[in-house]
Amino acid sequence: MQAIRVEALTKTFRVRRKEKGMRGSIKAILRPQTEEIRAVHGVSFGVEEGEMLAFIGPNGAGKSTTIKMLTGILYPDGGRVEVLGIDPTKKRRQLAYQIGTVFGQKEQLWTHLTPYDNFRFFGAIYDIPDEEMEHRIGELAERFELHEFINTPVRNLSLGQRIRCEIVASLIHRPKVLFLDEPTIGLDPVVKEQIRNLIRQMNREYNTTIFLTSHDVGDIEKLCKRIIIVNDGQIVLDDSMEHLKYHYLHKKIVEVKMQEETALPQVAGITVLKQKGSHARLEVDTGAVEIGDALRQINVENMEDINISNVPLENIIMEIYRAKDRQQVKAAIAPVG
Amino acid sequence: MLTAVKNQTRVCLLSLKYNIMREMVNKVTFLMNIIFMMLNNACILIQWFILFRLREEIGGYTMREIMMLWGLTAASFGLSHILFARVFSLPELIVSGKLDSYLVQPKNVLLGVLTSATAVSAIGDFLYGVALLLFCGLAVGGFLLALLLIVTGTVILTAFALLFGSLAFWFVRVEILGNQMVMGIVSFATYPDGIFQGISRFLLYFIIPVGMAVYHPVHILAEFDAGRLFTVLGYACLLSTAAVAVFYRGLRRYSSSSLMEARM
Repeated sequence: MQAIRVEALTKTFRVRRKEKGMRGSIKAILRPQTEEIRAVHGVSFGVEEGEMLAFIGPNGAGKSTTIKMLTGILYPDGGRVEVLGIDPTKKRRQLAYQIGTVFGQKEQLWTHLTPYDNFRFFGAIYDIPDEEMEHRIGELAERFELHEFINTPVRNLSLGQRIRCEIVASLIHRPKVLFLDEPTIGLDPVVKEQIRNLIRQMNREYNTTIFLTSHDVGDIEKLCKRIIIVNDGQIVLDDSMEHLKYHYLHKKIVEVKMQEETALPQVAGITVLKQKGSHARLEVDTGAVEIGDALRQINVENMEDINISNVPLENIIMEIYRAKDRQQVKAAIAPVG
Repeated sequence: MLTAVKNQTRVCLLSLKYNIMREMVNKVTFLMNIIFMMLNNACILIQWFILFRLREEIGGYTMREIMMLWGLTAASFGLSHILFARVFSLPELIVSGKLDSYLVQPKNVLLGVLTSATAVSAIGDFLYGVALLLFCGLAVGGFLLALLLIVTGTVILTAFALLFGSLAFWFVRVEILGNQMVMGIVSFATYPDGIFQGISRFLLYFIIPVGMAVYHPVHILAEFDAGRLFTVLGYACLLSTAAVAVFYRGLRRYSSSSLMEARM
């Protein structure tokens, strides 16, 4: 069953335009000018129950606007949205009982209260009886190791502890779908990993559908099985992570250390990225030349050390961001030949 | 339905409790804010005592009516700022996209927003207003009526601020106009309505609803008039219905934002 269904979703914002300087300000009063910004344009997709989806794109691509329409914060201008079979524009409150949201850049917790008091407040918001609430707080505190700081005011917590509490607060009513907008923003690698484990755990144990937006490739790579990339308000890629990584990842990075400086081969499909003395960094397009053939082109007998790695996922995503539409995306990532 | 109302009330009361707890983080500041607000209000009343030594009546009011006027104004203003302080900064919330966290909760958005802050000095205003009404020599029935009129005054002031604040969904920098209109109510509500004539009187009764929030209630307390009471009750219902409708109409235009923020 699909947890989220989106069809031809559209949202346009009207923004004021002003020429520079004082003259521009006066002109704007006398003759105000506005411009329509198309934030989301004809977006359609579906998310299965229990799926972990990365919904990514460059800044201003329309990710947050889409999440806000899915959660009932914004009204769409056109199209259809259903989350757990509920239309957020018509039954926002009914939907809110079944979804959780974490906006990494916007705190929902009261900073002067302890996480415990905050959880009690959220319990009241979701109509959870006191006794049941105590049980859930205990369970979540145990599972997510909050005992050390559950009675410390939120303003005195570290950013990592605070985000953990934000996530736990969004889980207090056991949502079926969790929307995470940049949950690991500003966190150190250790805390990021903790948060990712927490998300994975939720998905595994409660079959929670995860809808994640993040600029952190680690979040996407380590959590999600499917990726949707939006750019300029439109979906430019909707694929499985496995497919993206192994089918489209046709370029290998070969780093070699030779015994002495040697001329590198000038063959189609092999690009010398960097060469300094006996060290060289090559990019091999496996669509044009097989990796074995490429290695044979390099003088193996003269080789002291070698390292072959994939092009980082970050680079692939960057390429996709630079592309304007689906056609360009295909051209940017499809194997040659 | 009844359970929903009960649950919503529970959240609003919890919100009020947490707001006050936030203000009580610094005990000295908390108490000083309340005490100094009461003293501040009391100082202004001294001017009226001096004036009434020179004249027996000003604008049709004696000292007793002035005390009722100040009592109702301070208590209504206070209660509105204790329970619904956020309504007075609503335009800022709308413009900077801070309604998101209320929109993802399964509760009434408007009540969630309005009850999300408390002005601590308003507790001083409220206590001062109630104390003043106690000193007016009202009978028990009169005092209960005064409490009802504090509630209608609170509703009118809050609804008026909500109406103007909600215009921020359509217009930018509307908070300046809204603040001036709300402060207009408070400023005019500290003078007897008898001194205003003609167009200004019309404005005070029909445009800036100070007449409905305070002047009518003072006259009702001085001499009970069921007609006036129903006018005030009707107006409070009408204005709050209109304000809520405008807020929800505007909410459809809400555009949120991506600004970094914290719930302070």
